[in-house]
Amino acid sequence: MFFQSHARTAVLLFVLIGLVLYAATGSYFAREIVVEIAILAILAISLDVAAGYGGMVSLCHGAIMGMSAYTYAILSVKFGLPTLPSAVGGIAAAAVFGTAVGWITGRTAGIFFIMATLAFGQMAYTLIFKSRWLGGDDGMGGLDRFDLSWLGINLGDSLSFAVYTVVCLGLVYLAAAWVLRSGFGRTLSGLHSNEDRLQALGVNTVIHRARALGFSGLLAGVAGILAAQHTLYISPELLFWTVSGEILIVVILGGLGTLVGPIVGAVLFVMLKHEVSEYTNHWHMVVGLVLIAAVLAGGRGIFGQIEYWAADRRRAGKEQSAEAGDA
Amino acid sequence: MDAGFWILQFLNATQFSMLLFLLSIGLTVIFGLLHFVNLAHGALYMLGAYIGISAAAWTGSFWAALVLAPIAVTLIGAVLYFTLIDRLRSAGPMNQVLVTFGLIFVFIDLVRIGWGDVALGLNAPQVLSGATDLGIVSYPTYRLFLIGLGAMVMAILWIVLSKTQIGAMIRASVENEAMAKALGINVGELFFAVFCVGCALAGLAGVAAAPVLSATTGMGISILIPTLIVVVIGGLGSLEGAIVGSFIVGFIETFSAAILPGLAAILTYVLLAAVLVLRPRGLLPARA
Repeated sequence: MFFQSHARTAVLLFVLIGLVLYAATGSYFAREIVVEIAILAILAISLDVAAGYGGMVSLCHGAIMGMSAYTYAILSVKFGLPTLPSAVGGIAAAAVFGTAVGWITGRTAGIFFIMATLAFGQMAYTLIFKSRWLGGDDGMGGLDRFDLSWLGINLGDSLSFAVYTVVCLGLVYLAAAWVLRSGFGRTLSGLHSNEDRLQALGVNTVIHRARALGFSGLLAGVAGILAAQHTLYISPELLFWTVSGEILIVVILGGLGTLVGPIVGAVLFVMLKHEVSEYTNHWHMVVGLVLIAAVLAGGRGIFGQIEYWAADRRRAGKEQSAEAGDA
Repeated sequence: MDAGFWILQFLNATQFSMLLFLLSIGLTVIFGLLHFVNLAHGALYMLGAYIGISAAAWTGSFWAALVLAPIAVTLIGAVLYFTLIDRLRSAGPMNQVLVTFGLIFVFIDLVRIGWGDVALGLNAPQVLSGATDLGIVSYPTYRLFLIGLGAMVMAILWIVLSKTQIGAMIRASVENEAMAKALGINVGELFFAVFCVGCALAGLAGVAAAPVLSATTGMGISILIPTLIVVVIGGLGSLEGAIVGSFIVGFIETFSAAILPGLAAILTYVLLAAVLVLRPRGLLPARA
């Protein structure tokens, strides 16, 4: 179940403010890193809602994000719509795709769910990869960012764009926290911990699963729009299943089911990637080894592990004071 | 599109199905028996191809490579079993997916360090090079050899699983592990043996595929998805399921690529979706 503890709020604010300061004081390269972190963090939050709270370990979140990015590109480049409606369309497409996958896989669990999402993600990837109309493996260019000049903001500027992605990250977190605290979010946690009991209570688990994956897809759709606006070019690589695997890695490194943890994970992942790449071009081997170590160490992730220790100490403290009370 | 065209497509499909079978049988039995999701199975196949190419270069013989590569891959698999897989058996599918996903990254980079980033080829032995005249069409001899190799492995596995005591023990353990243990079957040893056979077959598939497909660092990832589809369509843990699934996927992919190139890419995924919705346990599940 989701709780917005003070510690979580503090870490969240610390990271968000830190990212803005890093972008404001750093070079162009630092701002690129901030954008990369923000997009990855949004994806990780989206996956955490599905996997950490709903127990649905999806391997198609890369594809969901890519659907949003491609819909944005189709609407704005092919049909000439303005950027804002195109973005809404892209996010809606991601939500619809997520809902559809959730509905079709509603009766599968565990490894079957993982495989099914893998298959649907690859299906979307292959469709786009083979489509001449969408540029195939060459991808699509000619995209635009939002025109926020009426607010006096020029998103073409690297600092403004970095701050804009961090603001989006904050909004996505708020949306996720708000939904998880609602009755629906509580039902979702219930689904995760005891599905039979919820069915006995009369809850339609398939519809809840579909809705949850739809909401998660909506959040991933935001990341898709940002990714498209970041490089102003999209390619089918966005949808490949290893992208989804990397998002899962970020969630695990940060802390599954903590919502703040995935943001911490994204910061560490991107920072580590750029640091390690300075010394070796075998960055993926480092990720693989870190991932294996993280799972073998208990799989709680960095933020999750710290929360676990803190809860442990609180429990120990309570027991001590209880004993003192007895004496 | 004359008869020759169809015969060629039929042979191509059969050959691809055999390759899928060699990979999926190991994966499905490990799945069914150990409840373990090994995404690194494709990486073992890649290692089989690269080790086979080096073994052929050292010994100068393709046949030596065909024997040595599966042995080497089995040894790697055994190390993995004792370091990671045994302790992850009860850790749940997500952790297994994550760790074996990490292993894919590690193996790919190890291959890049050891063999470099270029595609490597392997020459088929003299006897199997060239083409064989089959009357209406002539077909590469090596590909016919691959079909024969797959059929042989299929026959051996079928005999072992259905006619021998070991096979009965394996089937019993897939069906009901606790009961098999109670009957005195050493399930742990059995699991290890089955895992090793699965690794050996992945290595065999890798070295056998090398003369046809040439070895690249991406080969493990690209074969993994069709293999997983075979396993899910067929039903986890069943030999019949792996055979049927391999032929379904192999034939659909080959024939749709020849007849309906537009649809080819997604037909297998549509099939997988249909199976997951209509028969979530696969077409021929091992457990009744």
